[in-house]
Amino acid sequence: MTDTAAFPAAIQEAVADALGLDETEVTPLSTLIGDLGAESIDLLDILFRIERKTGVKIQASDIGNHIQGGIPDSEFGDENEIITPVGLAQLKKAMPQIDTEELAGKLPADQVMSLFTVQNLVDLAVLRATATVDA
Amino acid sequence: MTKLAGQVALVTGASRGIGRAVALALADDGAHVAVNYRSRADEAQAVVEEIEKAGGKAVALAADVADPEQAAALVERARAELGGLHILVNNAGITRDGLIYTMAPTDWLEVMRVNFGGVFNCTQAAMGHFMAERAGVIINISSVMGERAWTGESAYAASKGAINAFTRNCALELARFGVRVNAVLPGFVPTDLVDGLLAKDGGKAIKRRIPLREFATPGQIARVVAFVAGPDADYMTGELLRVDGGAAAVLGTGRPD
Repeated sequence: MTDTAAFPAAIQEAVADALGLDETEVTPLSTLIGDLGAESIDLLDILFRIERKTGVKIQASDIGNHIQGGIPDSEFGDENEIITPVGLAQLKKAMPQIDTEELAGKLPADQVMSLFTVQNLVDLAVLRATATVDA
Repeated sequence: MTKLAGQVALVTGASRGIGRAVALALADDGAHVAVNYRSRADEAQAVVEEIEKAGGKAVALAADVADPEQAAALVERARAELGGLHILVNNAGITRDGLIYTMAPTDWLEVMRVNFGGVFNCTQAAMGHFMAERAGVIINISSVMGERAWTGESAYAASKGAINAFTRNCALELARFGVRVNAVLPGFVPTDLVDGLLAKDGGKAIKRRIPLREFATPGQIARVVAFVAGPDADYMTGELLRVDGGAAAVLGTGRPD
């Protein structure tokens, strides 16, 4: 399936099925880890379901790399592992919904994934699908 | 029978013993079988020919499953040559019998590397395919030795205990992907592997301790494996299935002798 217009519904269903939730409980703005309580194996399940439904293969590690956008760890977080302004600017690209002013100077690096939403996952899948087509 | 028609099975250590019997049993149920071997190419080829003669399809594939890269290549070759993979039987195993007091560290490590390492490596190599298909069966050939003690079997028993624990964990992590993982625990089966145990008196003394009073044939173990692999067991996962003539069911000898 290369019709990315169907991705939001397919991914919402994949998330709901993997987590055993009603689809109404899964909104584009739901954060996977924070709101929906997804753990690592849930994420793996979600990604395999997305692959089946959309043909887009996303590895669990791809999400972290996508969010960090190739910025080295040393520039992404400061010495206390708080995300730097450079890091926040990158996060805003991958997760446009975040309030960078609110998070400035107080977002621990290990909390970044908890901001990732269903919509962010849809965006990543669409990006992958179109990148594959282009290639 | 055709309960496994359209299925492809990979059986590790299938050139002889229980592995050979499992390969034949799965083929008998209609599966196409990849017969893995490490060094006995002729015997593996003989298993393939036996399956082909009965109208089945099989291929012999060399690999040392203790090596993660070889295990991964084995899974890919089985998929390529037989058009997919649906059943993985982790059977390959060795033993280094000896008392703990005198055992060389390399002995238990080698047993662990092959027995548990082989299970881990092949499982990891195959699981992604099963997860993507949301189907698949993994059967680990363990042993009652993994649950009970026997003098001189510490390394082997520990490796099988590891396989038992891994089977339960693997079943849990794969259940949501529709993949079943079980272990079959044979009791005493007169194969090359247990020559040492049976050397003394042909195993007569051991037989007296087995409620069914007989050793298992490899085929009797293999039929249970075929059952667990097939649709009749499709709600069974995380199970450790003893096939031991009742040996591990009894307390002591089961009588005041």
